Order: sequence, then structure tokens, then C-alpha cells
Amino acid sequence: MTSPVIEARNIVKSFGGVRAVDDVSVSVMPGEIHAVIGENGAGKSTLMRILAGVETPDSGSVRIDGKEIENSAKASIDAGISLVHQELSLIPEMTVAENIMLGAFPTNGGWTKTKEMKKIAADTLKEIGVEVDLDERISRLSVALRQFVEIARAVARKPKVLILDEPTATLTPAETDYLLSMLQRLASQGLAIIYISHRIPEVFKICNKVTILRDGKLVTNDSIGDLTPDKVIDQMVGRELHLDLTQRRPARELGELVLSAKGIKAPKVNGIDLEVSKGQIVGLGGLVGAGRTELLRAIIGADPRSAGRVTITSNGKKRVITGYLSAIKAGVAYVPEERRTDGLALTMTVAENIFLPNRKEISPTGVMPKGKISAFAKVLSEKVNLRPPEVTREAGQYSGGNQQKIVIAKWLGRKPSFIVLDEPTRGVDVGAKAEIHKLVKELADNGAAVLVISSDLPELLELSDLIHVVRDGKIAGTLTGAEATEKSVMSLAAGEKLVGA
Amino acid sequence: MAKETFTEAMAVAKDPQDSKATKPKTSFIGFIADKGIFVFTGILVLTAVLFVDGFASLQNVTDVFHRAAPIGIVALGMTFVVITGNYLDLSVVAQAAAAGVILIAVSNAYNLIIAFAVAFVVAIIFALANGIAVGYFKANAVIVTLATTYIGLGLLRLLSGGSQVFGPADGPIATFGTSKLGPFPYSAVVLVAVTLILTFVLTRTNFGFLIRSFGVNSSATRLAGTNTGLIVIGAFMVTSMAAMFAGFVLAAFSNTAVSNMATGFDFQALAAIIVGGTSVFGGKGSVPRTLLGVVFVSILSNVLVLVQVSYGFQQVAIGSLIVLAVTVDALGRRVSKK
Repeated sequence: MTSPVIEARNIVKSFGGVRAVDDVSVSVMPGEIHAVIGENGAGKSTLMRILAGVETPDSGSVRIDGKEIENSAKASIDAGISLVHQELSLIPEMTVAENIMLGAFPTNGGWTKTKEMKKIAADTLKEIGVEVDLDERISRLSVALRQFVEIARAVARKPKVLILDEPTATLTPAETDYLLSMLQRLASQGLAIIYISHRIPEVFKICNKVTILRDGKLVTNDSIGDLTPDKVIDQMVGRELHLDLTQRRPARELGELVLSAKGIKAPKVNGIDLEVSKGQIVGLGGLVGAGRTELLRAIIGADPRSAGRVTITSNGKKRVITGYLSAIKAGVAYVPEERRTDGLALTMTVAENIFLPNRKEISPTGVMPKGKISAFAKVLSEKVNLRPPEVTREAGQYSGGNQQKIVIAKWLGRKPSFIVLDEPTRGVDVGAKAEIHKLVKELADNGAAVLVISSDLPELLELSDLIHVVRDGKIAGTLTGAEATEKSVMSLAAGEKLVGA
Repeated sequence: MAKETFTEAMAVAKDPQDSKATKPKTSFIGFIADKGIFVFTGILVLTAVLFVDGFASLQNVTDVFHRAAPIGIVALGMTFVVITGNYLDLSVVAQAAAAGVILIAVSNAYNLIIAFAVAFVVAIIFALANGIAVGYFKANAVIVTLATTYIGLGLLRLLSGGSQVFGPADGPIATFGTSKLGPFPYSAVVLVAVTLILTFVLTRTNFGFLIRSFGVNSSATRLAGTNTGLIVIGAFMVTSMAAMFAGFVLAAFSNTAVSNMATGFDFQALAAIIVGGTSVFGGKGSVPRTLLGVVFVSILSNVLVLVQVSYGFQQVAIGSLIVLAVTVDALGRRVSKK
């Protein structure tokens, strides 16, 4: 039997008073794909950061080929550990080749050997089977291609251990399949792979061993053959869960037209018409990069559009939308994709975040009434079931799900007539996800028109009365909530050719 | 079925911050970045009282405030621009000088009311020029305000002939410059009044709230349905008004004004703001902090004068202090981001 290429022994790491990683040991053999799974906050990412030397453990050691390595990012890289980060760490203004070779430019007396650099980059891309122009700037690539470039960068260093942290989070199913087979190929050449994922089917598809973490502790370390998906879920959550997320909305009569968008053109949007009625939830499906976010932002004026006319009718009044401010005046509420950068002021309190869009109603004189602000915020945060509902806490102290509830809460005060949500439950735990779904449905039941983008197919199917599938900046097809299935949405989204594959 | 759908439900990207976000960390650097000014001001005052002859007299203390007032008022106003994030207003040098020269020259030629009115209009023009370029066109604040400084000083030299202007010895300006409220010179009273007013504006009004919110997250503030260009113009407006009052106070000191009278105000005001703990990255800071920064820098200069350190060394000391303060600011930000 061969010996493990990487071995972590008794790793402990605390943040404040909480043990994020509590006495965890993991070892991985060459050629093995080892899954590390667990709920949000189980300690997976922290453990990986320790393996990669970017986080210092309180105690415990990391060994490569039986030899203990120093705890530093450089020592880990030199020893052959490559981490593909969850957040993309590429430099948008540099080319594909430069990014792949970043930190390891072949040089000659201080001069970059461009030809050699490009050759290594090209070889690496060939090795992982991805075709992309070496001289293209990263900023011009799709999210999926960036993810593959990121992997190429890790592979170019000829690592012994490759760690991937949620590599498929932003990928479509087709792109995911491609990535998984790529990993299997790399493992068959003897690379040890540590694969962090929330997606259990993926784990069963490619992994040989599974380590399950819960609240920082190791609960399972088994071969995949000894496990079933049910068993894995039970061990991850440590409790029974009964959720049926395929609860679709019943069919209903259409109310009056709220949104009318005609001939919308913008970067990545090639002439789209869209209508949403009172009480209706319209879903936008499609691959990442198909132009859904661009479409949505062009409709509400958050980004400029090059052509098209948008009107919003609320309370019997029809308004032409010329820019974002006029959209907000007409009763639009926008829950953006990136809640941390676009949705919330993280270092401000919940009350302050809720006050922001409601300031004219709460303090019409321009002088802020402190008591009234927190009372107003309290009502709304209870409405969205914020936990704990402490409006004087900073928004950044809440978990992803609760942060998303704050973003929704801040708009509820305006009683919006048209609500647009972009990936409303991305990075949100299961419980909060169900609550957000309930909220969105309630809003529609109470007469709001809702437009929602989701790459999460069950979510899209559950919420939508009507689904438009966007492909290459155009609507590729429209399905009613009743007839849509994951398969029908995907086949429309993918068309004949698959992006990135 | 329920289990299957749950499997899908787990298929969400997770947020790496989730586990850590609920536990704000305190560290030494974080503490210094946040509370350092209180500690250091305390130590400085204590040291000065105990060891420096001539510091602990009412005469000296009121004198320190009197001389700190013009730069202090500028700093209090500029705090608004700094809190909006990555912005500053270097043109206060031109603005304060313009206000001073206009006050004396126009009141000599016409009367005080017209002088105030002209200075007010000039301040608004400065604020609009800076605010529109920076707020609406997203031009770099350093370059824009450097350029408006040049334009302002150039125009001032052309119009005033570059020479010093003097007020009548018994005029209201001269009287203001030498009068006291109890033991406190009017200049110090204005400094405190401006602090109180701007504190109220920043913490208790919708406008002040928008300034802070924009500084913390400009994108989220815009997407909440605000006119961010107006917010930035508003911040420059506050700075320009403060610079105008600072110019008035400075001119009243000696009953004279000249185009280069506020040289160095840009840097010294920024020093007070940063030392006070307002972050140059925006979103974090307050008006009283800036007052404390003004007090700290002024007392430090005063002590250095009292112990007869040369002016050159004072410059070195203030410069070093700023490097230290911005470094701590940056480190503190890094700590709190973790």
C-alpha cells in the first residue's frame, strides 16, 4: 500500500471563542479524490486554508510525503500544495497566459521569457483540455472560463496535491460535468485532489473518500462505497430535515400588467421583450453569462441600455423608466446578486441599512428620529424573520441567509410594486432559503410583480409562474410553471453548443 | 423525495465569511486604529502638563485653540469629504484665502454684507466644480482639487493684484479677531460651534447619513435609490462652507488677507482628520474625532515650540505622525476585514 501524499494531523483552529476546526486529521493518497463536505461554517474552508499555509493553526501539523512542512503559503506551494480559491483570484487586466504563470514567470536576467511563458501556459491548458486564447484578458472571459483558468494556474505548478474549494458553485451543469471529468483525468495521473463541495451528487460521481465535518469536528472519514447520499446528509446536518422545495405555485389569473419592457438592448442583451403582471412571478433561467443580470439591470436602469422602452404601472399610474432613480420612484425593489458589495453596508447596523431606502418616509424633515428608525427596522426584520432580530447589530455580523433577509426587509418598507431578485438564495443555508422562497411567494400573493433570476433549477421551478430561458442575450424559449422541468429549462439554456465545454 | 430535494438544496455556493462574521475580532492594531487618538491625546496632555513649562496656563491653552481654529474649521468640514471615501479636497488652500481676501477687500470697497454674499457665492462655485467633477464624472479627487487650487489661486492673484489687503483698524473684522467670550477668543468659539453643528449634521440628518452610507458602500447606497452625485457634491459643499468660515477667522486674526495666507492648510487639515481616526478609505470617522485630531496636532506643535524645537523638526514630526496614522488606519482595516 502506498503512503499518503498529504497528511494533516490533529488540526485545531479557533476564532474568538469558537473552534472552527476541532482536532481534525485527514490524509489523502496519490490519485485519490477526497471530498471534504459539511454545512456552512462547518470548518471546511478554514481547514483548507491551513493546508495551503494561508491560515495558521493553533495546533497540529501538515505533512507532505511524511515530512512536516512549515506553516506558510510559500512552504505549502514549494511542497506541492495548490489551492484553487473559492473567490477567483485572477487579475482581470492581465492575459490568460500571464495569470496562469503569475508568480512563476520564467525569466532571463529579470526579463520575462514571453515565449516560454506562453508555451507552459498553453501546455497546461491542453493538459486540462480547455481552449481559450492565451492573449485574451481575464476581464473578457466568462465566469466559467475564469474558473478553468484558475485551475490551470494551480496545475501549472505541477502540484502533488490540488485543493478545490467549491469549484462548481458558479458553473452550469454542463460546465460542471466537464470539470468533474477533468479532475478524474488529473487524478488518474497520480494527483491527489481534495474536493470541497455542497453538491452531493458530484461527490458520489467522482470521489473515492469522504470526510464530513460538522461544527469543526470530524464526523466521518469513509470510503465512498460505505456511504449513501442519505447517510451523508444525515451526518452533515446531524438532524432530520423534511423540506419539499418543489412546492410549485398554483396557476392563477393574471392581474394588470406592471412591467412592460420592449426591445431591450445593452451589452450582452440583444433585443428582449418582457412583461410581468401583478401577482405574477416570472423566472429567468439560463447559463451563467447568458445575459440575465445584464437584462435585469438594463430594464431597471441600474446600467444604461442602448435601446428599448420600459414602463412600470403601479397604483394605476404608468411611468416610463429612464434611469435607476425613476425605476425606484416607480416602485422597483432590487435585490442584487452580490449582496455584500451591492446590497448592504456591512459595517452599518441593520436599522441603518433598512433606513437607507426608507429615509424619506421615516424622517421627512431630514432630521433622523432615532427611536422611529429602530422601531421601523424592528417591524420589518421580524417580518422577514431575521434571527436574532437585533437591529443595532452590524449587518456584516449576520450569516449570508440573514443578510439576504435584511436586503429584502429594507425594500419591504417601500411596499414595492415590482420586485427583481438576482440569485436570491446564493450562498444561503437551507433554512433561510426556504424562508426566502416563502417571502417571495407572499409578496406576489399580495400583489407585487416579481422577476427572479436563478441558476438553481429547483428554485426557479418552485417560484416561477412563467420561465423565460435566456441564451446569448435573447430569450431562447418560454415555459409555463406547470410544463417546465429541470430538463426542459436546461435544454433551452444550453442550445446546441455548450459554453466553456 | 424530500431527501432528494434537500440534496439539491445543499447545492448552493457558500459564503466563507459566514462562520467568522459573527465574531468581530479585537486586536492591538484594531484598538489603536479605533481608540488610539483618545489614549495618545491623554498621554500627550499629561506629559505636557507635567514636564513642559508654560503649557498648563489658561493663556497658553486658549492661545493654542485660537491658533488652531482656522485649520481646525477646515478639517471639520473636510471630514465629510474624507468619510465619503477615497476623496479629499486640497483646494481649501485657495478657498480659505479667497474667503479672507474677499471679506476684507469687498467690505473695504462696499460693505460686510456684500463681502459675505460674494464669499458665499465663491464657496458654492468651488463646491460645484469639485463636486460635479468628482461626484458625477468620477474624476480623481486629488487631481481635480489640485487643479481647482491652481485656478482659484491664479484668479485670486489676478483680481487682488497679489498684494496684501488690510481692513480698517477699528472695523468689525478687527474687533471680531481680537474679542473674547469670557476667556475664550471668538475663533475658538467658532471652532466649537462648527464642531457641534457638523456633528449634528453628520449623525442626525438624512444628508449626514447618506454621506456615511456612501462611504461604507457606495454601490449599495446607489442601488438603494439615491443620487450619489448629489451626495458627493453635498460633501464638497460642507467642506467649502467650512473653508470659507476658516478664511474669515484667519483674516480677522490679523485684519489682513493675502492669496497665500492658507498655504499648508490642505495637509495640516488632512493630518488632523487622519490622526483623529477618520479612515481615508471612507465610511469610518466622526466630526468630534477630527476636533480631537486638531487638538492633538496643535498641542504637539505647541509643546515642540515650548521646548524650543526648530520649525524644521516640527515638520518632520507632523509628517512622521501622518505616515504612522495612515499606516495604522490601513492595518486596522486589514485586521477588521479578516
